[in-house]
Amino acid sequence: MPELDRRDFLKLVGVGAGAAAAAGCSDPVEKLIPYVVQPDIITPGIPVYYASTCRECPAGCGLHVKTREGRPIKLEGNPEHPVNKGSLCARGQAGLGRTYHPDRFPGPMLRGSDGKLAPISWKDATELVATKLRGGAGGAYLLGSDPGPTASGVLDKWVAAVGAGGRIVYEPFAPEALVEAAQLVFGNASEPVFDLSKADLVVSFANDFLETWVSPVEHARQLAEARDISAHPEGGARFVYFGPRLSMTASSSDEWIPARPGSEGILAMALARVVLENGGGSASERALLAGVLDGFDAERAAARTGVDAKTIERVGKALAKAKAPIALPPAGGFASNRARAATAAVLVLNQLTGAVGKTLALLPLPSDGKRASYKELLALVDSMKSGKVSVLLVHGADPAYSMPQTTDFADALTKVPFVVSFASSTDETSALAHLILPEHTPLESWGDAQPRAGVRSVLQPAVRPLQDTQALIDALLDIGRAVSPEVAAKLPTGSFRTLLEAAWSDADFRQVLQRGGVFAEKSGPASASLSPGVAKLGVADPVLEGEGDYVLLALPSPLLYDGRGANLPWLQEIPDPVTKIVWQSWLEVSHETAQKLGLVAGDVVVIETGGQRRAEVPVVPRGGIRNDVVALAVGQGHTQGLYASRELERGVNDPQGKRLYPLPENAGRQVARGVNVISLLAAATDEAGGRAWLTTKAKLTKAGRSERVAFTGANDNMRERMLGEAITLSDLVAGKSVVDPEMLGLAASVKERLQDAARRGEEMTPPAGVPAEALTRNGELIAFNPADDAKPGSPYRWGMSIDLDRCTGCSACVAACYLENNVPIVGEEQSIRGRIMSWLRLERYVTDGDIDYVGGRPPHSTLERLGHVGVRHLPMLCQHCGSAPCEPVCPVFATYHNPEGLNGMVYNRCIGTRYCSNNCPYKVRRFNYFDYSLETWPEPMKLMLNPDVTVRCQGVMEKCTYCAQRVEFARQPAKNEKRLIRDGEVTPACAQSCPTQAITFGNLKDADSQVAKKASDPKRGYHALHVLNTRPATTYLAKVVRGPVEV
Amino acid sequence: MSEPAPGHRIALPFLLFAVVTVVVLALPGAREVSAQAKSSETALEAQKLAWDDNAPGPKQPIPFSHAIHAGQYQIQCLYCHTGTDRSRMAGVPSVENCMGCHAQFGGDLEGVQILKKHWEEKTPIEWQQIHRLPEYVKFRHNRHIQAGVACQTCHGPVQEMNKVYLVPDRGWMNGVPVAKLEMGWCINCHNKNKASIDCLTCHH
Amino acid sequence: MTPPPAASVADMIRPVPLVADSQVNRDILAVMDRPTMPYWLLLGFLVVFVHAAGAVWVYQVYKGLGIAGYAHPIFWGVYIVTFVFWVGIAHAGTLISAILYLFRSKWRNAINRSAEAMTVFAVLTAAQFLGIHVGRIWKSYFILPYPNQRGLWVNFKSPLVWDTFAISTYGTISALFLFVGLIPDFAIARDRSTGWRKVLYTALALGWEGKSKQWKAWNRTVLHLSGLCTPLVLSVHSVVSWDFAMSIVPTWHATIFAPYFVAGAIFSGFAMVLTMMIPVRRIFGLEAYITEYHFDNMGKFILLTSLIVGYSYVMEFFIAWYSGNEFEQTAWWYRVFGPYWISTWTMLICNTMIPQLLWFKRVRTHVPTLFAVSIFVNIGMWFERYVIIVIGLSHEYDPAVWGIYTPRPAELMILAGSFAFFAMFFVIFIKLFPVIAVSEMKELAIHRKSHAHEGAH
Repeated sequence: MPELDRRDFLKLVGVGAGAAAAAGCSDPVEKLIPYVVQPDIITPGIPVYYASTCRECPAGCGLHVKTREGRPIKLEGNPEHPVNKGSLCARGQAGLGRTYHPDRFPGPMLRGSDGKLAPISWKDATELVATKLRGGAGGAYLLGSDPGPTASGVLDKWVAAVGAGGRIVYEPFAPEALVEAAQLVFGNASEPVFDLSKADLVVSFANDFLETWVSPVEHARQLAEARDISAHPEGGARFVYFGPRLSMTASSSDEWIPARPGSEGILAMALARVVLENGGGSASERALLAGVLDGFDAERAAARTGVDAKTIERVGKALAKAKAPIALPPAGGFASNRARAATAAVLVLNQLTGAVGKTLALLPLPSDGKRASYKELLALVDSMKSGKVSVLLVHGADPAYSMPQTTDFADALTKVPFVVSFASSTDETSALAHLILPEHTPLESWGDAQPRAGVRSVLQPAVRPLQDTQALIDALLDIGRAVSPEVAAKLPTGSFRTLLEAAWSDADFRQVLQRGGVFAEKSGPASASLSPGVAKLGVADPVLEGEGDYVLLALPSPLLYDGRGANLPWLQEIPDPVTKIVWQSWLEVSHETAQKLGLVAGDVVVIETGGQRRAEVPVVPRGGIRNDVVALAVGQGHTQGLYASRELERGVNDPQGKRLYPLPENAGRQVARGVNVISLLAAATDEAGGRAWLTTKAKLTKAGRSERVAFTGANDNMRERMLGEAITLSDLVAGKSVVDPEMLGLAASVKERLQDAARRGEEMTPPAGVPAEALTRNGELIAFNPADDAKPGSPYRWGMSIDLDRCTGCSACVAACYLENNVPIVGEEQSIRGRIMSWLRLERYVTDGDIDYVGGRPPHSTLERLGHVGVRHLPMLCQHCGSAPCEPVCPVFATYHNPEGLNGMVYNRCIGTRYCSNNCPYKVRRFNYFDYSLETWPEPMKLMLNPDVTVRCQGVMEKCTYCAQRVEFARQPAKNEKRLIRDGEVTPACAQSCPTQAITFGNLKDADSQVAKKASDPKRGYHALHVLNTRPATTYLAKVVRGPVEV
Repeated sequence: MSEPAPGHRIALPFLLFAVVTVVVLALPGAREVSAQAKSSETALEAQKLAWDDNAPGPKQPIPFSHAIHAGQYQIQCLYCHTGTDRSRMAGVPSVENCMGCHAQFGGDLEGVQILKKHWEEKTPIEWQQIHRLPEYVKFRHNRHIQAGVACQTCHGPVQEMNKVYLVPDRGWMNGVPVAKLEMGWCINCHNKNKASIDCLTCHH
Repeated sequence: MTPPPAASVADMIRPVPLVADSQVNRDILAVMDRPTMPYWLLLGFLVVFVHAAGAVWVYQVYKGLGIAGYAHPIFWGVYIVTFVFWVGIAHAGTLISAILYLFRSKWRNAINRSAEAMTVFAVLTAAQFLGIHVGRIWKSYFILPYPNQRGLWVNFKSPLVWDTFAISTYGTISALFLFVGLIPDFAIARDRSTGWRKVLYTALALGWEGKSKQWKAWNRTVLHLSGLCTPLVLSVHSVVSWDFAMSIVPTWHATIFAPYFVAGAIFSGFAMVLTMMIPVRRIFGLEAYITEYHFDNMGKFILLTSLIVGYSYVMEFFIAWYSGNEFEQTAWWYRVFGPYWISTWTMLICNTMIPQLLWFKRVRTHVPTLFAVSIFVNIGMWFERYVIIVIGLSHEYDPAVWGIYTPRPAELMILAGSFAFFAMFFVIFIKLFPVIAVSEMKELAIHRKSHAHEGAH
């Protein structure tokens, strides 16, 4: 056992507050079990925060791990961290569940001859691996994700010491082409880092940087900064998106140009040419590129890209004219076998438009730490097939799931005599491993990460390991030392933690642990020059395998990413930002394609690629995708994992009642949840050996059956109902208001009289007989003043403002709400019934909609059109109305208006008549149709519940409380100090997590509070379903429609 | 939460007041007694009483007597129940906390021996909970202490109890009797002290 | 004071059968004779069925409302629909007994007893559903305003609270009405019966001896009770309608709801009376007492109320269009052409078109046809409530969360169970109490004699 660190008490901790987390209607825990040794930093009931780093994706966001009584209960962003500055995406927050996951291995497991796993002691396991290594370590290979610079260094030492064959870093969506292209274009090894915050024109070449590319949270924040309407009255940065599909990222753009997939490089070249023609680039560059660029004139490019020449000219001119433009290379699912060339082309474009040094920094590659290399991995697979690999140690990756079928990784794995998996919970690879040495989850581990040069971020354990696990490095060091004394001598001494401290010896480690790392941002060279290599760029159309009328897009899912999120129930249950589907796989096709094949939403098609690879998946027709393209998200199709596979619905693997409402008809269903699109892809690589995702064409044939698609959004037609409003930039500049004065519910005469008064400069008090809400603010008429809707004596009227212009639809707020408020998970079947419990949902509307009286079931997507954005993401949560329709109808006052203007919901008073919900026009109330709380958190997940929020039982209504528990928590110090709660002291979970800070919360009675200022925006401020005069406390700020870029 | 209910419910507030004052006044005397090293016997006596099955209240794993600690030795509640003034939850002292004193004192006492056993085995003591609220009530100890509410107001004259039990208290609400730790009982006190009676204050 | 002689007694006594008092006793009380095998089978079946449905409900309480078909945002479904349906059924009884009594339409005497009984049982059945549909039945007593230590009160603003009062009041009064009406007949039954029945009737007859004094008092009581009931007939369903009208749900939030619901209630009530009485009359050979004349009148009533209901439908559609309110317009369009069109058209056809047959006296007096019509009306009226409640909720303000509701087996089982529950009580009633008001029949007979006597002069 390592030296007694400050988290060791956790083996001594009792359930204490466990009682507080028990279901509000369940039997009480009748014992009080105090600590044996109570650590000085712990006071039961007061949270303790640890700074750490998120490992859910390579972005490396900083964490504040909120712990109560030694148990992490919430992950929040580290405000000091330069990458995410206090916010955190949905994936990062859901990562909390890994530590408490019921699928975790209790300890080391050895697979017996019967194929079943049996426990084995660490000692024996270590010895076992050591013996395997003694006989020819040369055949031993390490395969896994990048564990961070320090660990990476140790691993290299280990490989050397043991004399292992080598070590391969594997990251399915690693932007390898980017570095290669930078090498090609600028002639030196560097890492291009894009900063959108200073940009005035963002051109994305099928780059979904708000979802999964490099650092989504950071990019989202930067884009919001660059487009902040209050800072840039003229609208800020314009955003053009080239790509075949209206993705979540594209839905934030001003202009979506549906270019053919794989044609990004050509487009970039064509644009570069236009830029040069319009005075971009230096003379030398012009000379250098002259040869390269001919053949890329607008007309010919138009033919190859599906973008008409005029648009190319226009965007090109805009790029040439822009002061700080930025072009983002194709990434993720759009990396074709020409990815390097395409990326290079985009970098060239950046160079010509003078982005380098302004918005594009060329940072030195991190010296320590190996980079992911797909080439090496393929080589490894070959040697595995040829039986050259004797021992394979896999950590932090699931190649058996995420490698293309055509590489036969699974078969190759079976050819390896001894496979060791360090996975902490079950996945496809560990299912094929002979020995499992479970490593700590990130919340239990020490470690560090380096998102980019200069930014060093530390991981520290926030909880003592729940299972009998070990840190990867410690386990490997033990193994190495067990091999032989010679090896041991070559290995570094001490535990990984000591090594880590040594690695950070240049900084004050205590301070590092407090701040979360050392953040010394480096800036790249102010300018760069093109290397002669550019002359042979070789931009061309990608080669797609197989025949078929459709290009198959395999896109990283915004929530499940490369599939690693699939076993986290929250990520399964949070609707996909684009289609609002949960728990399933679906194939996006255009309406035209659907008609051609005679399909409606839910009809299953057989999708066939490369002749022999087939899969069956239900289709979802939509207007936001090209006719020659079909899209299927990566991430589903797991056969392992409680939530990732269909185990739950099938009711198997159920030792402790961890079942989510299995229905009998599911018993026979296949194990895999949805379809793993990777199994349809060809094993193609780009010019530099990086992994290509845009590889195949697909054939579709009707399967003749259909499945129920778990839509959680009925349709995208808002019917001009004042839900997700938008205002054009011109109107905004012209001083128009998004709210039509006629809608203010005031008689025209009254309005005139008020305006006359305004003209005469008199004080504008409403005439007799006019409702009190006939007021004005900033000289503008307003329907009512939300601040009035609290008890006159009360100093507070809690309110919220949500800026739709900043909302990207990323759903971080939804995850935050789930985890802060113990919102239960209901599973696929219940979701189909619309019984999802999320207190906060993101509605997705397209344009203002139109009032058409559709008969029958309204189709899911009706208003999307090619090349047309108009998407409004509307976070819909309880509006805490001043005159709430739900309040008068509750027979027992279970819901009521509280003195501070909150719309209170008292669970233990509710008898479940559900009248409140019928009468809620926003439909934000959720009903516990079953005792969801019992089945949602199988052991040990109950430990992650927030003890400050009552867990609701069967038969009661629940809804957003504006995080009343946080208000109460902030009230304690305020009362003790005999003062009011200060602005910003209370931040609801949703607002806290939002990458773009679209949500503001505070006291509307305090005129200086952030929220009061925002809510009183005379032009963009409006209230959802205004005509109902529910007097909401939630003010929406209309999205700004900036329109296509002009020159 | 079961204890035989002694009579004189209505008079209890007065009783309580009287008791507290008496205790406060009598304590200096008690101190002198203790000074003459008689405490060990009283301690033994107290231990017996703490495990007296006829006395009200559940049997605790350790014959711990609040009367000795809080009463005779006048140890402040917050000395052991740390953090109660800062946190919503009342701190139950850790074994280490007890050992702080009992490493030196009272080794001859049975209870202390049990305590030491726990300390050596590093196992927590599983106390029987006496004052408990449902999980959907979020009671805030810190607010009440900050507001100057005496612990005895809710927990009764613990400083006189060898064996702690839920001291019965009865108020009236809408002409209905209210037992201690029931909602009406809280509301009564909140009304009296003009504290918030907004539902969300305790239910969220 | 006895009710003053009505305008033209002759009209009213026309349908009275030409039988002697004793004959009346024998005929009517014959119904209460020792039950036959089929009766026991029927009763047994009903009892078993009720218990089966009860079991489903118990399972629902244990597992949760999720076993019903609720789907966000449709939070009310078959249960509330059925509740409103039964409350509606409960109207005919009081209307016939009370209002027609006050209007001196004596023909009612033949049917009022069974109608009153129906009322009581219907209210009983309806009341069940208040409990069945709540999420936490074990806490549902919160809805009653009783002094409690929490210092909490009910929300008198909530229509659901009004509902609770309306239903319980109505239940009490109609039960009282039924009982008072029964007293003289209990006496007759008492004098004819033996064994435990004698004991029972003796107790229930409250020592009735048929003295003129008692008759006087009795008449007065009935009169006053009728006076009390009359407003209730109108109020109860108005209150029930406010459950919907008071909310802001498009297609619910309408001023027309109260009268519209009351009319619908009477409509369905009369239909149900027919549905119950026609078989009873046939089986127990009461043709002499329940004559074509009655069916004719009932038919007219149904036709009238059907017209009112139909008018309300038209008016709602018109207003939806005329208001220019997009929410209403969309909802109404959806109601007729949306995925629920079958329910809507069933409602329209059964409630407005089929009853038009009743314009023809032939139909009104042709019992089998009348029976069929009454069945259709019952179906139509159940669907009316389904349409109003479910479709209204499916298609509200926020298009992103429009939903579709389909009933689940559990709900349908409990729905069927409610019919069994109702029928069970009625079947038991038939054998225990005179299904036709003996005394009132005689009253008519006596009238007739006296007038015949006059005629001889």
